[in-house]
Amino acid sequence: MKFKLVLGLVSMIALMTQMGMAGSIKGKVSPGKSVVYLESASGAGVPVSDKHVTMDQKGLLFQPHVLVIQQGTTVEFLNSDKVAHNVFWPSISGDKKKGHNLGTWPTGQRKPFQFDQPGVVSLLCNVHPEMAGYIVVSPTPYFAETGADGAFTLSDVPDGQYTITAWHEGKKIQSKKISVGGPTTVDLTLQ
Amino acid sequence: MRIKTGVLGILVMFLLFYPAVTHAIPAFARMYQTSCSTCHTDFPKLNDFGKAFKDAGFKFPTDDETFLKIPPVMLGSEAQKELFPHSIWPGTIPGLPPIGLRMNTFFQETGSNRGNFGTLVPAGTVPPFIPRTDFGTGLFSIFTAGNFGSGIAFWVDDDISVSGDNSAGGLGDAYLKFVNFGQQFKLPKDSLALRVGRFELDLPFTQARSINISPYDIYAQANIGAMNPAFFQKNVNNQFTMADGVNGVEFSGGHLYGGYHYSLAIVDQNTSGVTQGTNTSSFVPSPTGGANGGVGFASDSNFKDLYGRFSYRFNLERDKTSRTAIQAAGPSGPREHTYVNLGTFYFYGRSVQRFSGDDLSGNPQVLTIREPFYRAGGDFSFNYRTFNLYGLFMRGHDYNLLPVDVTGTLIPLPLTSASAPPVAFVHGQPATFTGGFLQADYLAFPWMMAIMRWDAVNSGEDRFNGLAQSTSTPFALPVRSTRNRFTPGVQFLIHANIKASFEYQFRPKQSVTVITDPITGLPLAIQTFRTHTAVSALEWVF
Repeated sequence: MKFKLVLGLVSMIALMTQMGMAGSIKGKVSPGKSVVYLESASGAGVPVSDKHVTMDQKGLLFQPHVLVIQQGTTVEFLNSDKVAHNVFWPSISGDKKKGHNLGTWPTGQRKPFQFDQPGVVSLLCNVHPEMAGYIVVSPTPYFAETGADGAFTLSDVPDGQYTITAWHEGKKIQSKKISVGGPTTVDLTLQ
Repeated sequence: MRIKTGVLGILVMFLLFYPAVTHAIPAFARMYQTSCSTCHTDFPKLNDFGKAFKDAGFKFPTDDETFLKIPPVMLGSEAQKELFPHSIWPGTIPGLPPIGLRMNTFFQETGSNRGNFGTLVPAGTVPPFIPRTDFGTGLFSIFTAGNFGSGIAFWVDDDISVSGDNSAGGLGDAYLKFVNFGQQFKLPKDSLALRVGRFELDLPFTQARSINISPYDIYAQANIGAMNPAFFQKNVNNQFTMADGVNGVEFSGGHLYGGYHYSLAIVDQNTSGVTQGTNTSSFVPSPTGGANGGVGFASDSNFKDLYGRFSYRFNLERDKTSRTAIQAAGPSGPREHTYVNLGTFYFYGRSVQRFSGDDLSGNPQVLTIREPFYRAGGDFSFNYRTFNLYGLFMRGHDYNLLPVDVTGTLIPLPLTSASAPPVAFVHGQPATFTGGFLQADYLAFPWMMAIMRWDAVNSGEDRFNGLAQSTSTPFALPVRSTRNRFTPGVQFLIHANIKASFEYQFRPKQSVTVITDPITGLPLAIQTFRTHTAVSALEWVF
């Protein structure tokens, strides 16, 4: 009996400890339809993703217009149009050394590229200059696209120090240092 | 020879303010929500995709419906086809009127010899004043083009205002094109199309949609026989030029972006320059007329002229898939093909002239002569990445029938009311000319094109007429039979639909002073000069 009591107490303490080590981040970004992601303040390594996702070119549009992925994800670029397309990006978050051109490939085929550097990638097509798409590469698995009202939730974020970054097409990117210890609220306004 | 001030003024105004007629179609940009540069390099010059778009009847070559952002209006559901002939065959119209508008404005600096031509006007007449610099108004044009479904394409363009004068505008092209007409006869796809209406001939290089500010001289060359009595006279008065719009039908096939391409046009003849609106009869109705009048007759002859063109474009990419695709596959994305295009063309007509003369009994009658003529030549175009070198050579030849009087004596030209009445015509030396141009375009940046052009026309007739101080000759009073013009230029795209252009024309030698050569006894032009011009243009389409 005594043993069961002690076991129960230990379990409760463990559970409470666990609950205290992870939280959620809720908030709003103005304007809506933005992207938010977390970067660990310590820069500690996070297991990279080995996922494959698709970015398509259809009807002279990048679809989806904005794709958010974790660092390490491989994006397969597909040309679903029966016209020649091209995908290139002049830089990643302004770093021109990370610019890249995927060249040309036949309709219906995919060309993969693994994004192993975090940042914002502006996708362009050198045949159709009005085409634009974006890939936001998050260094951690904690990222989200906000709703039209700007609301977002990042769940199961371990307690600790982070930098939260918000991005919206055409706006200046904004970052803020936050401390996560349980439920946290963060609001950002992009100019 | 008396020279009318008005004719000289019109000629000089033409030379100074002849605007480039360019057409990019912003309506397509709106319909497909895509940039002008999808189809154009330096508008209106077409890239390979633009050529394919045009070949397909102003729509995407494949899967057009997936690219249209403004869906067309159905004029009948597809199922109506099953009910035909008990239903109207269904077609479509564009969802929004595909209207494009264009305006251009100019600034010109003319060389110091511009005032020399004032001496050609009759004594006591005030010559036109040509300013050293001038801001000139160009053309305001409307154009519309698109597709009606069932492989039927359309195009209409009109200059609403010219030089600021709303009434001086004119219709350019206006036609329907049945793109896959050959399917009616089970012919292969794209092997036979039919175009009906008014259009620019299928020239090797378009004049109506040229990127240049000034026109190609050879396209503007008429063939007016020498009237100067000092030389062999030619009774040739052919006003036709290759850049003229024509009325008729054209069969064509093939593609402009690779492989073969041909066209055969059957068009009205009009070598007298008579305008349709004035060529009416008080007793015969033309279309829309009741008992008489109407919109007039565009022909001045029963004969229909013929024009034929054939070309073959060799795309030079090693990879077959890339070579046969509309655009070549490059390591940094799709690009223009590397190609060589070779072509030939031939125009045949019978220029008609009518004179008041007599029969052999001395009774008055109208005499009609028909002088066959041709324009023939070859062309080439070479493209490597963003560099394009192209040109053509043409020869013009008109038969010459000289009037004789009842004694069989040649009657001096031009025929006037004081001349002996002609009774017949005899063959004389034909009137000929040759010429062409060579142009190099280099797209240094997507927004900047450097241009270098050489125009040359060799016409003895123009020189002989010029020595008679006739202002009907191009460049008024050319000194030599060969007129060379060098025109470097540069064009900048401020936006994809706004262009600033500049060209400098090194013009041929001209003269207004003619003496008699003491050795040959023939007229000789002396005190030659050149009237170079620098022209800037600002053009926008929307």
